[in-house]
Amino acid sequence: MAKSDDCVHILQGLLVFGNVVIGLCGIALTAECIYVVSNSDGPYPLLKATENRDIHAAAWIGIFVGLALFALSILGIIGVVRASRTLLLVYIILMLITFAFEMASCITAATHQDSLTPNLFLKQMLERYQKSDPNKNSDNEVTKTWDELMRQNHCCGVNGPSDWQDYTSAFRLTHSDADYPWPRMCCVLDAQGSPVNLDGCKLGVSGYYNSNGCYDAISGPVNAHTWGVAWFGFAILCWTFCVLLGTMFYWSGIEY
Amino acid sequence: MWAVGDHRRVPGDAEPQLPHSRPRHPGARIMLPLLLLLLPAAHGIDQVRHKPALTQEKLEGVTTASTFVLDQPRCVFNNYSNAVIWLVVALDKDVYAFNSSVGPGTNETAFQRFPDPVHAYMTLNATLDSYPCPKPAGDITVLRVGSETSCAQDETRPTCNGPLPGPGPYRVKFLALEGSVPVAETDWSAPITLRTAKSPNSNPTTSSGHSAGMIAITTILSILFAILLAGLVAMLVFWGSDSCGSSTFGKQESVSVRRYNTHHVYDQPAARL
Repeated sequence: MAKSDDCVHILQGLLVFGNVVIGLCGIALTAECIYVVSNSDGPYPLLKATENRDIHAAAWIGIFVGLALFALSILGIIGVVRASRTLLLVYIILMLITFAFEMASCITAATHQDSLTPNLFLKQMLERYQKSDPNKNSDNEVTKTWDELMRQNHCCGVNGPSDWQDYTSAFRLTHSDADYPWPRMCCVLDAQGSPVNLDGCKLGVSGYYNSNGCYDAISGPVNAHTWGVAWFGFAILCWTFCVLLGTMFYWSGIEY
Repeated sequence: MWAVGDHRRVPGDAEPQLPHSRPRHPGARIMLPLLLLLLPAAHGIDQVRHKPALTQEKLEGVTTASTFVLDQPRCVFNNYSNAVIWLVVALDKDVYAFNSSVGPGTNETAFQRFPDPVHAYMTLNATLDSYPCPKPAGDITVLRVGSETSCAQDETRPTCNGPLPGPGPYRVKFLALEGSVPVAETDWSAPITLRTAKSPNSNPTTSSGHSAGMIAITTILSILFAILLAGLVAMLVFWGSDSCGSSTFGKQESVSVRRYNTHHVYDQPAARL
């Protein structure tokens, strides 16, 4: 009957449209994950030093999942248009495997975001900043990253300059409390990089030292990347779920 | 600007002097005869009604682990224009052991030998010119105790304003000397305790729970995946048989035949013979 034909055409049209969207999203996911993987400046040396590379693992999986989604969407379009049972069966099974991988990537990224607490960075900063051990290169990385972070964002410590007073640190072992209540980078610096007013900085007069903590400056870009991988992946998976259900329904109705 | 940690201080307003020249500590009646025995030649030290205190300015470093910041003694020693102001620092428990007649810069008041065997050290050595009275408005006038690190180990500088060796609590007072004779002193300050640093290992680095977002992602994705797997199983189980309720998607030809007459057969009336 004509009505049934129309239903078929509508369903085919919807499935083709759904697969086109999946293909485009797959390419977008790949591009985004390549950006996350290659973006190694900013606070990323700090993340590397925490030995928590989950976000990188999630992004690498995301690259391959994106490419797989693009390839499978083309396969899906061909299968729907040709109404071929075998092609669609292969499509559904491969899509389910890709779904599982992307699910793993999303959950890893979301868990990683949870693990980046201020205390994690605080502990790392107190243990490694200015730790004058010439053998460990990673400590120099941490020191350089923190100096750059504090200079560019006009901040001090993780929660504030009081971090250096409230906790013992490697910095405190080599710098006396009376001369360096907090590192020189916490002072407001002039164009040559020396403090504008050293006494004011040591006293803690507002205007001559940085009173905010750097946690916002660290967590901002990291959170943005993690949200990108986790939540965009989640959105793609929801859409893929609908398309797959439609495809299963379509498959079961194809003449044998 | 402000004057910090240097030795230019000037006292300010005169506090009303007590009528008696002998110091009157409440409840120190027992100490008084002892003091008289120890200081046979001393004339009385004026008790200036001023209590040194931590500065009220909003500074991050009011107390650190080895320094603290006091308000300058401005308008305190106005009547003693020739005097030199000294700061006496002692541990809270050793306050009553301090003898105002000992001179600064001696072994009994050397900073380097504080807190043991020296119970109170003297530092500062500032004249009245350092502390003009009244204080200019808008300037931050503070005195940082513990700012000189270069002479902290130098025995030849017993009046060093070096960093304090422990968290305290400490009490301070100002003493005005003319020559080597004490002429006025302030009250002892309230006990000042410095900051102590704790180990960073005391903080937990892992978060206590998982965020709502992570739990939402996990549960929703698991449910979706389970539904898809169930659908796949259903598909494979019903392979080949018609699934209920849906029509097949093959082409259906419907042909209708209409019967129609091509010829009309009329009953002819009887023909003409």
